[in-house]
Amino acid sequence: MGIKADFRRRYFRKKSDKKKGIEPLFILDAQFEVGDELAVFFGRSGTGKTTALQCISGLLEPNGGKIIVNGTVYFDCHKRINLPVQQRSLGYVFQNYALFPHMDVKKNIAYGLKGWDENEKEERIKEMLQMLEIEGLGENYPSQLSGGQKQRVALARALAPKPDILLLDEPFSALDRVVRMKLREKIKDIQRELKIPVLFITHNHVEAFTIADKIVVFHDGRVQQIGTPEDVFYHPRNSHVAELVGVTNIFEDSVVVKDDEMAGTIKLSCEDMEVTAKRPEFKIKDKLSWGIRPENLRILPATDDSACEENTFRACVKSMVNKGSSKVLALEVKEKSNYLIAELGNQSFENMDLKAEDDCLVRIERDRIVLF
Amino acid sequence: MFDQIGFPLLITLKIAGLSTLIVAITGMVISYILARRDFVGKWLVDILVTLPLVLPPTVTGYLLVVLLGKKGMLGSILYNLTGWTIVFTWQAAVIAAFVVSLPLMVKTTTAAIEAVDREYEYAAFTLGRKELDTALFITLPLAKKGILAGIVLSFARAVGEFGATLMFAGNIPGRTNTMSISIYSAFQAGNSELANMLVIILILMSLLSMAITAKIINNWKI
Repeated sequence: MGIKADFRRRYFRKKSDKKKGIEPLFILDAQFEVGDELAVFFGRSGTGKTTALQCISGLLEPNGGKIIVNGTVYFDCHKRINLPVQQRSLGYVFQNYALFPHMDVKKNIAYGLKGWDENEKEERIKEMLQMLEIEGLGENYPSQLSGGQKQRVALARALAPKPDILLLDEPFSALDRVVRMKLREKIKDIQRELKIPVLFITHNHVEAFTIADKIVVFHDGRVQQIGTPEDVFYHPRNSHVAELVGVTNIFEDSVVVKDDEMAGTIKLSCEDMEVTAKRPEFKIKDKLSWGIRPENLRILPATDDSACEENTFRACVKSMVNKGSSKVLALEVKEKSNYLIAELGNQSFENMDLKAEDDCLVRIERDRIVLF
Repeated sequence: MFDQIGFPLLITLKIAGLSTLIVAITGMVISYILARRDFVGKWLVDILVTLPLVLPPTVTGYLLVVLLGKKGMLGSILYNLTGWTIVFTWQAAVIAAFVVSLPLMVKTTTAAIEAVDREYEYAAFTLGRKELDTALFITLPLAKKGILAGIVLSFARAVGEFGATLMFAGNIPGRTNTMSISIYSAFQAGNSELANMLVIILILMSLLSMAITAKIINNWKI
């Protein structure tokens, strides 16, 4: 069981633009399959994640395609099926919780239980309060709750009617780090217990990778890659995905100047900088894009005698930013007109005693280069 | 004494009360539709409802006579069928009050409903609730301050209604002489003692209704 989706939705600046045949402002083209697992919709703001979620929920109507959930057709453009939201059996948690301010917690949870027997309803509310660990808050109004508590109530309300799928639209974006970590665990536990498809939107990559069974990467209204967190993190399919998963240094369309099958390496040339990388498993084209994460650049003193070793370049420190546990350095590669962003642990940074405009050596770790 | 003060007071409360009740119900329906639905000719409905707010009340009264009078477009049908005409009855005063106070209710309530975050309604839909259910239990309760303000304004407008009522319901002692009209008559007749008395009663009534409204709103948390 799960969700099978393949649909499109167009946005026009004005309604009349559609009739006049003017190009839409934004097109969402979403194709994905999700089983009884926790799938994260990951991407920047404005890439179509929320629109996709709203199309699945029925709050928005797609312009074409199909959405099937657990074998039930929610939407089919050809057959003109568009199941109303009310009949879709889903739990939806909104970014701002959307708890009804004029009802206490119990009434909020009970709102989705219309038609239930009074005793069963009472029992279910108790069960939900226990599940989300908010037993003492039943009589409170939303304005009397903290952000984390509100989110728990929103989850309890969404889950109370026993939905077939759970949709969460950036549920933790307004919460502090500690509360967020606890709630992430809670969501994972809930998914494991209920075994239903859970779609979770986020633009935070730490959140995406700690919670997901599967990641669906969105960019510019399209699904760019679907895979396990490891797959997406280590093997991004293109530069958009690579950038999202923290590969800050990206060099697109580098020319493959040497393919050494014996040594298992390839040499890439890009803006007169040559780097050697591990030979990829996929078929090599004439041009490849590659990238390296800031933490995979090694910084060595300018006096180090490894200057002529593979993938090592002379560089100058242009600026430094303190990130707390580490420092981020902007480096200009000498005579190559390239910039690299490196991240250095505080300990190694102190040992090197670097200042702005200091010279150093930068080594691009061969085995850590990401090719796509 | 009753004829001069008691009757105008009671007939005013009866007319304003009844018209406000009708205004409140129709106003909420119209406002909800204007705030939440898109349809062809929405602007026309908006204009028609708002028109009495900008028209001089005498014009509104005149139009009501043209429409509902004995020889009017709808009035003549009613007269031919039943032999009864609404002109110069207390029911006519209710209709006049209704027409002039509806725009105040609709304008205030529409703004209040538009201010309710649609996410609450979407949340209700995802919880399986239909639109009518959501409107009654989520949208309108969340817009209740604006709705109450609309009701108070409509009631005040109905109590103070003069021009359209005079045109459409007349000034018939013991039938349609409301407070506002009685004050005018007393003033015209040089009976300043009666005029003062009626004016004081109207001012006290207004103060009381404002105090009650403020008390209610203060007790509402949301």
